[in-house]
Amino acid sequence: MKRGNRRRQYLLPVLASALLLVLAACAAPVQETGDVAAEGGPSGGQIVLRVGTGDSGEGLKPHQEIIRRFEAANPDIKVQLEPVSGSDYYARLLTQIVADDAPDIMNIGDDAVPQFVAAEAFLPLDDFIAGDDSLDTSVYLPGLLEPGQWDGRQWFLPKDYSPLGVYYNKKIFDEYGVAYPEAGWTWDDLVAIAGELTKDTDGDGTTDLWGIQLPGPWTTGFEYWVAAAGGSLISEDGSTFIGYMDSPETTAAVQFYQDLYQTYKVAPLPADMSAFGGGNSEFDNGQAAMRIFGRWPQSGMLENPNIDLGVVGTPADAVDANVLFWGGFGIYSGTEYPEAAWRFLKFYAGPEGAEVWQDWALPAVASVAEEAGLNDDPIEGAWLGELDRLVPRAYVFTPYWGQAADPALRRVLETVILDPGADAAELTAAAAQEAQAALETAQEE
Amino acid sequence: MFEFSASALPAVYLFVMAASHSIKRRETVAFYLCISPWIIGFLLFVLGPMLASLWMSFHRWDLLRDPRFIGLANYQRLFREDPLFWQSLRVTLTYTLLYVPTELIGGLVLALLMNQRVRGISIFRTIFYLPSVLAGVAFVVVWMWLLHPEAGLVNAFLGLFGIPGPRWLTDPHTALYALWLMSIWGLGRTAIIYLAGLKDIPLALYEAAAIDGAGQGRSFLSITLPMLTPTIFFNLVLSIISTFQTFTSAFVATNGGPLDSTLFYVLYIYRNAFQTFQMGYASALAWVLFVIILLLTLLVVRSARSWVYYGGGSE
Repeated sequence: MKRGNRRRQYLLPVLASALLLVLAACAAPVQETGDVAAEGGPSGGQIVLRVGTGDSGEGLKPHQEIIRRFEAANPDIKVQLEPVSGSDYYARLLTQIVADDAPDIMNIGDDAVPQFVAAEAFLPLDDFIAGDDSLDTSVYLPGLLEPGQWDGRQWFLPKDYSPLGVYYNKKIFDEYGVAYPEAGWTWDDLVAIAGELTKDTDGDGTTDLWGIQLPGPWTTGFEYWVAAAGGSLISEDGSTFIGYMDSPETTAAVQFYQDLYQTYKVAPLPADMSAFGGGNSEFDNGQAAMRIFGRWPQSGMLENPNIDLGVVGTPADAVDANVLFWGGFGIYSGTEYPEAAWRFLKFYAGPEGAEVWQDWALPAVASVAEEAGLNDDPIEGAWLGELDRLVPRAYVFTPYWGQAADPALRRVLETVILDPGADAAELTAAAAQEAQAALETAQEE
Repeated sequence: MFEFSASALPAVYLFVMAASHSIKRRETVAFYLCISPWIIGFLLFVLGPMLASLWMSFHRWDLLRDPRFIGLANYQRLFREDPLFWQSLRVTLTYTLLYVPTELIGGLVLALLMNQRVRGISIFRTIFYLPSVLAGVAFVVVWMWLLHPEAGLVNAFLGLFGIPGPRWLTDPHTALYALWLMSIWGLGRTAIIYLAGLKDIPLALYEAAAIDGAGQGRSFLSITLPMLTPTIFFNLVLSIISTFQTFTSAFVATNGGPLDSTLFYVLYIYRNAFQTFQMGYASALAWVLFVIILLLTLLVVRSARSWVYYGGGSE
């Protein structure tokens, strides 16, 4: 009896813990499959669509609002938002796709499009767009459909986007009596204006006011400078960097960037090298007259008492150029409910959704922007005007951009920012060789 | 696989219990059952993934397309074609050489100070241990502000003495040292382990030494240090392993830059695995790291025989 008792003393906790472990290990991800009816014939049941997004926090509000409106108009469909924040988003999506358990609608950034499409993770949208429940794609502003295309087909519809622009602080310009930069300005104008507004105000030998805050070694942003100088970073067939990343035009762009930091000394050095020079706070503090960047931090600047904000397009050099940063939605190729997913996608990324997006980002639909009067707004109009100056980004020419070329280009930028004696031509030549070697390694398939 | 092994456990238990007669065997079974949560966890979440990554290291796999067997090509690329592999190894080794002595000596000094009989000593202990409780990212961000080239407290302090502060995290010559400086905040963790070791040394030894006329320095060298060698050994092994796995500070503060000057090995693995999705190559890197750490640890353990003193005398 006693022995039996003792045995039970062991037994219970051991079994309990083993059981817990098994439950924990085997518990499948929670799925609302119980109340799903077959597609097309929802007899009392609802289709549940899952939507994956990399947005988080405040950024989820427009998603939730669009979903609320959609569900009200489509009682047979329930939409479940699955946000994953930060840099884990793609890793999460990839594992879900491998496990055949990905959301029906997914949000993808521009440079991830080639990779996901090549892996057949998404449905082409052309048949939906032209089908019974058609979508008029001419509603979109110029340049916004192209990033969602690959191999001649449309895979994604635009969610949000931003070109580059130059913010300027009117307070500083007014104080020193310098004219605001205007559309159509050039690199020479940039150097002149930035030079005028770079000042040692207290005479202690260090600069207190900077002409322009630049985004440090941010490679994707740097594509604008290369394009404006008349260059490109890769051949259009995606096969080579030689003759492109080391071309005189690319070298000129690198040289100009270096000069802004090191020769003209009109740009403050980066405060950190981690994210696109985001550590610099000179513009926010009223210590830099201009800043070149995307539209993302604009709402904070509008509320900032140090800043009386103006926005102008990017300056031109040999070529009139700007680049676009873009996010879009597509339909998972493994979805059980393609028709329902399309219905939602059309709502999400179409005119109805744009009505909601306009309060958070630039709307993708031309009529929505028009009605909101954004074209005539001095700030938003400047952003929208940039859509006519876009050149394609380098990732559209090779799916290996991030892996092969980005690290090489980043090294060039870090070097010229830090080292006044660095030779731009030597650096671009070495970078082109390095990127080419990496590209060939990546292509050995 | 795990479904079988885990859910079969109760049945296995009953079967074995019925079959076993002697108390000894029953105790053996009970032993294994008691540690089974750990064993199952180890098999599922450590050994399983390790073997999977070994398998992956012989493949090319971007997660989306099927893995393709490429033999030793990943290992070949790593040793022969990848300068960043060597760079990350160099960075990691340099950091290990900087940090391990700092941690061993600094932690000991801190522990000796925290071992003083001073009023309110527990408050000091708490203060020094506190940074170890903070989440890694939070404390790195605090240090990024401290080390900010223009607005940071560290350079402001140096400025008081007319010393122009370096650009710390944005200068390839200083970035690694800046990370080293940050890591000193973590000394409290090592010091606590030392403190436990110090408390373990019998007071009688010090009393006997004092009677024999030994001063403070003498008793430190002849009693404290030798009695503390097992703790030093333990800290040394942990310290080496943890420096080889440094990730958070470099990921948050510098992202490996500038110019790869803080490209720690594990950060490089992370980039390959989760930024460019080269799972096979990342696995090969991880296995090379595993072998390096294993060899270094074996070396240290082997050396322990000649310098670590265990109270019971040698066997």
